[in-house]
This record gives sequence, C-alpha cells and structure tokens, in this order.
Amino acid sequence: MLLLLNLGLRNLLRQKRRNILLGSAMAIGVMLLVMANSFSHGLSDIMLNKVLRWVTGHVTVAFNERGRMMTEVFRDKAVFDFLKRDYSDSIREVEESIGMMARVVGHGNAENMILVGTDMSPAVSQRTQKETDEMWRVVGGRWQDLTNPRYENPVAISADKARSLNVKLFDTLRLRLRNLYGQDQSARVTVVAIITTSNIFMGSVMFGEVAEVKTILGFDEHSTGSINLVLKNPAKDAVQLANAIHDRLQPALAVIAGQAEANREKSPATVLGFNSDASFKAAWAQQISLVAGDFEKARLDKTALVAQPLARALGLSVGSAFTVRYTDKWGRPNALLAGKVGGIFRPEPQWGPGVILLQDDRFYESFYAHLPQAAAAAPGAFIPGKNHPAYALLAPEWVLLPRTSTTDEMTKKMREMGRRKYHATLIDVRTMYETAEQILKLEGVLNLITLSAVLVLFFIILIGVINTLRMTIRERTREIGTVRAIGMQSRDVRNLFIVETVLLAFFASVAGVLLALLVMWGLGSVPMNVEESNAMGMFLINSRLYFIPTWGSVFGNMVLIWVLAGVTAFFPARRAAKLAPGVALRHVE
Amino acid sequence: MKFWLSFSLLLCLLVPAAVFAEDGRVTRILRSVDEQYALKTDAAASVVVTQQKVDQGTKVIGMQYYRRDADHNFLIVMTAPESDKGNGYLRVADNFWMYRRNTRTFQHISRDESIGGTDAHGEDFEDRKMIELYQPLTDAGGQELFSEEKLGQIPVIKFEVKAKVNDVDYPKKIYWVRRDNNLILKEEAYALSGSLMQTAYYLKFTQIDGRYVAVKMFFIDEFEKGNKTVVEISNIKTDKLSDAIFTKAYLENLSK
Repeated sequence: MLLLLNLGLRNLLRQKRRNILLGSAMAIGVMLLVMANSFSHGLSDIMLNKVLRWVTGHVTVAFNERGRMMTEVFRDKAVFDFLKRDYSDSIREVEESIGMMARVVGHGNAENMILVGTDMSPAVSQRTQKETDEMWRVVGGRWQDLTNPRYENPVAISADKARSLNVKLFDTLRLRLRNLYGQDQSARVTVVAIITTSNIFMGSVMFGEVAEVKTILGFDEHSTGSINLVLKNPAKDAVQLANAIHDRLQPALAVIAGQAEANREKSPATVLGFNSDASFKAAWAQQISLVAGDFEKARLDKTALVAQPLARALGLSVGSAFTVRYTDKWGRPNALLAGKVGGIFRPEPQWGPGVILLQDDRFYESFYAHLPQAAAAAPGAFIPGKNHPAYALLAPEWVLLPRTSTTDEMTKKMREMGRRKYHATLIDVRTMYETAEQILKLEGVLNLITLSAVLVLFFIILIGVINTLRMTIRERTREIGTVRAIGMQSRDVRNLFIVETVLLAFFASVAGVLLALLVMWGLGSVPMNVEESNAMGMFLINSRLYFIPTWGSVFGNMVLIWVLAGVTAFFPARRAAKLAPGVALRHVE
Repeated sequence: MKFWLSFSLLLCLLVPAAVFAEDGRVTRILRSVDEQYALKTDAAASVVVTQQKVDQGTKVIGMQYYRRDADHNFLIVMTAPESDKGNGYLRVADNFWMYRRNTRTFQHISRDESIGGTDAHGEDFEDRKMIELYQPLTDAGGQELFSEEKLGQIPVIKFEVKAKVNDVDYPKKIYWVRRDNNLILKEEAYALSGSLMQTAYYLKFTQIDGRYVAVKMFFIDEFEKGNKTVVEISNIKTDKLSDAIFTKAYLENLSK
C-alpha cells in the first residue's frame, strides 16, 4: 500500500499543471461546502444561543392570567421552586421573562422599545454573566449601576437608540407602557449604561434590574412572569424536560374558604367557581337544583348560586349582595370577595350547606388578586373530590394547555385559546421546537440546499476527473503494459489510479478547507451596515457575517469528497487494469 | 386615547341623576353616570376620529358603531381610511371577532387588542359600570374629596376618583362636571405613577331622546406632547336595531 501511495504521489507530481487545475476546482467545491455548512451552523447558533436563549429559553413555562395575552403572570412563584430543585441536572438557568413594549420619550424624539428585566443578583452563574457581557458590550457607563440606588430606575440602552433618542449617559428618559393589568403606567428612567449589541434583534431592548422592572409593570413580590429555562443540552433534554414539567403541573380545584357576610350576618362558606362556558349549560342543569333565580342569567351577569342553608343564614335572596372574607396564601387575613346572588340551590345530595358557586370570571378576579390559603386548612370547608359528579365543571387553579410538538400544533392551540373564553390562568409548557421550529429547521434546509448545489458542482468537476483519468490512462497505456509485464497485478494497477485520484481529492479538500477558513475569516471581519428593519440583520453578529465551522462537518465534507472521487475513479481505473500487457505495450499514440 | 369609554358613557348621559341618599356627592355623580350608561335603547352612530401624531402626521379614522347593551353586543365597521374600509369588529356576548375585508376572514381577538389602529381596546367597549371601576378619593375621615370651582365661566364640581379594580386603563382620574346637570366637561387621566397622561375636553353636546350626548371631544396626550385626537359623533340614532346587525353575515355583506 505504501508503494502504491508513493507511486500515486509521484504520478500526481508528473502532471503538475493538470492536477493543480483539477485540484483547484475540487478545492473550490470543498470551500463552498464548508462555508455554507459553517454559515448555516452559525445561523442556528445565533437563533439558539443568541436569540432564543435570551428571548424564550430552550423551554418556556408561559402564563396568561385569566386567558389574557398581555397578562403574563403567575401569582405564586413558589409553585415553580421544583424546577431548580429537581431538574438541576439538565437546567442551567431558570430565568424570569419580564418585558413589555414601551413608548420611550427622549430629547425631542420618541421610540418604541422593550423594557426588559435582567437579573443582577449574585445567584446568576458566571457563565451567564460572561454570555451577557459578550452579547451586550458596555461602551459607556457600567452594568453594575443598574442596581445603584443613586439613580432613578437605572437602565441600559443601545448606542443606536441613545443616538436616535438624543440622550447620553445619566440623562433621564420618560417611558409609557401598559402594565400587567392593562393600566397606563409611566416612569422616569436614567441611562446608566450604553451598550452595543451583537445581534440586531436585541437593539430595541432597554434593560433594567428585574425587581425594579417588575415593580413598574405591577408585579408583587410573590408573582413571576413566564419562566425561561436555559438547558445544558437543549437538543437532548428540551422535549423530555418539558413533558416532565407538564406532568407535574396538573391543577387542583380552586377553592376559597372563608366567612360569608351579608345583612350583618356571618356564616362559614366555601366559594367555588363554576365554569360559565355556554357548552356546559346542560351539564350544570344536571348538577344544580335551583329554588330561586336562573342559571343562564347568573352565568351572563357573573353572579353566584348560593346553597339554600347559607342563603337562609345570611338572609340572602336573588339580587342580594354578599362578601366573603378569607385568609390569603401568605397568612394575611381579610382578603375580600364580593358578589351578588343570581340563584339559590338545594345542596343535597352533592353540595355542602355553605357552598357558593360563583361565575368563574368573577371568581378568578378575587382568586388571583388574593390567592387563598389551602382550603384544607379551613375547618368545615367543602372540597369536592375528583369523583364529585361536577368536578369537571368547577374552576381549577389554572388551566394546563396540552403539550404540542411543532409550531403548527402550537399555532392551532393558540387559535383555540383565542376562541375559547378562558377565565383561569393558562399555563403552557413549550420548547424551542414549538416556539422556533422553523428557525431550527433552517439549518437542516440550508445544509440540504448547499449539499445539493455542491453535488451538482462536484458532478461537473468529477466529469473533469473522469476525462482527465481517461487521458492519463491513454497517455500511460504503454507504461501500464510495462508494469504489468514486470509483474504488477491488475488489481494494483486499478488501485494505483484510484489512489492517485483520492490523493488529489485529499490535497484539494485540505486546500479547500484552508481556503474556506481564510475566506470566512475575511468575510467575518468586514463590518456590514444593515438597518434594524432589514431581515438581513438576523445573519449578523456584531454587524458581521457569522460562521461556525465544526470539525465534524468539515471532516464529513472531506470524506464525502474522497469517497466521490474514489468511486468516480473506479471505473476508468478498472478499464486500465483490464488492459492485456501485450496490447498495452503495442499501444502507439 | 381612551375616548371610547368616555364616549360610551356620554352617549347615554341623561341628567339629572337618581338620588341615593346614603351616598356622598361624588358617589351620586358616579351613579348618575352609570344610570345613564345602562342603555335602555339600542344606539347607532357615525364616528370620526382625527388623530394627530408628532411623527406620523394626521390620520382620519371613520367608523360606524352599533351597540346594544341588553345582550352586550356591538359592531364597529371601519369607513376610513381607505386601507381599513370594510374591516370590522363584532362582539356577541363573550365572543369578540375582528373581520378583515381583504381576506374575508373572522379572527377571534382578545379584549386587549387595539381597535382600528387607535389606542382604544376591545375592553373599552364593554358596558362596565363606573361605580364598579372607580371610587371617590376620601380624606382621613372617609369624606369624599371634591371642590366647587369654575371651568372658564361654567360652575363645576371637581372630584378625584381612584380605581377599585386593576383592569382599567387609568388608575386615577380627575373630573370636572357641571354643577347643574352633572355633565362631564373635562377629565384628566393619570398613570399608576401619578403622572398626568391625558386630558380630555367634552366640547359639544346634543340632546337625543331627552339625553345629553357629547358629540365632540378633544383628547390631549400629555405624555407625548403634540399628539392630539378629536372625536366627532354624528347621525346618532336610538331606534331598535335588527338582530341581523350583530351577525358575521351582516358585517361581511357590508364589506362587499
């Protein structure tokens, strides 16, 4: 084999000009293939690690309180303590997603920006801090000043936005936004850091310390925004983890146990929400035996159905107002629920004597404003079990949306969410495969397109290889005769030509890879001025094209070229090997 | 501009109010507004909104508005600008759809969404009672705070209210209402932070079926100086509206 390699190398050097030209064509093909793969891989990296990682994480637990798209809040963040505790093997960071569109007024100019809360606490890992520093480079001021109490609502904004708003370091901006509840909110913020961002998507972001941003947006200390999970190995763990989290978030019934008051009378009561969706009307008719009032009217007027013994104790009739005082989840007494009686029902056989069934929209209004303590802690509370005939008609703590696996499925789910009138908080556990399936597929599609184009190119090049081989064989026919006459086996003759071609492909591919690295370095060094609105910006990092060559794909490309060259050389080489020595020796050009 | 709620309130504003002896004066005014807010008839009107924004110039938005509170329905059909003509918004009970003429499709939207490119949202059209949303500001002794003064030459009562619930646009408002008939003449709306965000003036009223209706309103954006909106209402009718109006088919047919 070594002899064949030596002979092959010598033969290649005998035809320098021809082989250099042929090798150059192959090298260009390899270069294009490596560059295209590196570019698409870079694009995936931008999306996965520089956009999705910050915007949605690899897995998102998203909330919409009372079914409202803009109210992304969950009132008891302790419910999600299990994420860090039980899944630390796969989760790298658990981050709150706190952000809201805002109108920002500078000096003589206004811009739409997104106010985003960033966690500045020591709990943030060094790796995330490093990623933050790489993603948003500070060109004026200091990140650390986001927590400096000397400044009023300190924020960091991009150099571009600072320019367009006509502000400089330590200037004050005014911003206006709609908070969690849709209320108009305004705030004065101080620019304490000016940053440049490596990705165009992030140019409109205004960062503030997460606790301050939460205050501006109306969060209380127990609430959380949607939760983004950054995983150690997203490709491997995202779906599995999302499924596991989803399984753990099955809701219990929402129950408020407290003291009902009306007409200066008091009585213990358990308030349950009744599902007021029109499709449940018939089912409710089976569960409730009204002695006064009308279910349909109560459903539309958002009033309550009160058990007859409780109504008697409080002196309630249809149209009466009542209140229920209860202790909230954090031990604060005197949380208040107010309602009106829309109907009175006989509790037997399945309801307790102190039950109030309140229309779910009105029920959740109080339930989420003041989350109640566990009903089990209230003596005499009526808590229907899962086998209660009306269990499915009662309001749960939240609605857990079904898991989906693709963007299409998720879109369908969201459409359904818009169509149905949910009053509870919706929880949706998603992965990057749903939020950005198309983007993640982009790398595969780009690679396929590139490979197809390069294969066409190689097909043309390999025709050249075949032609060159045929010429070489013709030129060296007498030589073949000679080596065959002195004892070289026909198999070795065939292998010699294959080795020559593969060696040529080897050197060409090495040259192609080196050339690709050089060109990528060159292209990646040239800054490109792209407007924020230009979609081309998504291909850029720090205003430059972004390539990530991986050794696996580079080596794979090289092997592909060697195999193609070897296969192409096989047939002409076999023809050469089959030449009879005598015939070959007699060959005259 | 949060003129829609005001428009809805004033569309039905009838003076004077019912008397609730146990309530303070401000509460009585709020109840008076609510009393009129509960539409006893259907209503239809043409609305022209002229928005002037510093960086966008002037935009005229026209719409035809049909409303029936008995079953919580309303329909809005855009008549201008040309690019939005034929688009519409239909609310029937709990369902709220947006209709796009170009694609001839209805899409469920939430109450948070903007209406016709204005700052108004679906929730602004809901027939919610003012007394349920706002309460008067009181002093340490629980007495309502209000003062009698003059707005120009008109004797008015000025009072301040704060939100009782979270889901209102502005958590605090100050009103100037006529002393003789409780007509709202001026309104200031404040953000949660306490900053003045918008001032509204109710410039012109007309009488329909014995009720005063504001037909010209002027809204000043106090946050972005220079932004202004004028709302003009005309062709107000209180005849009973056909059930067919509050249907998808009606909206589609109008847009053909």
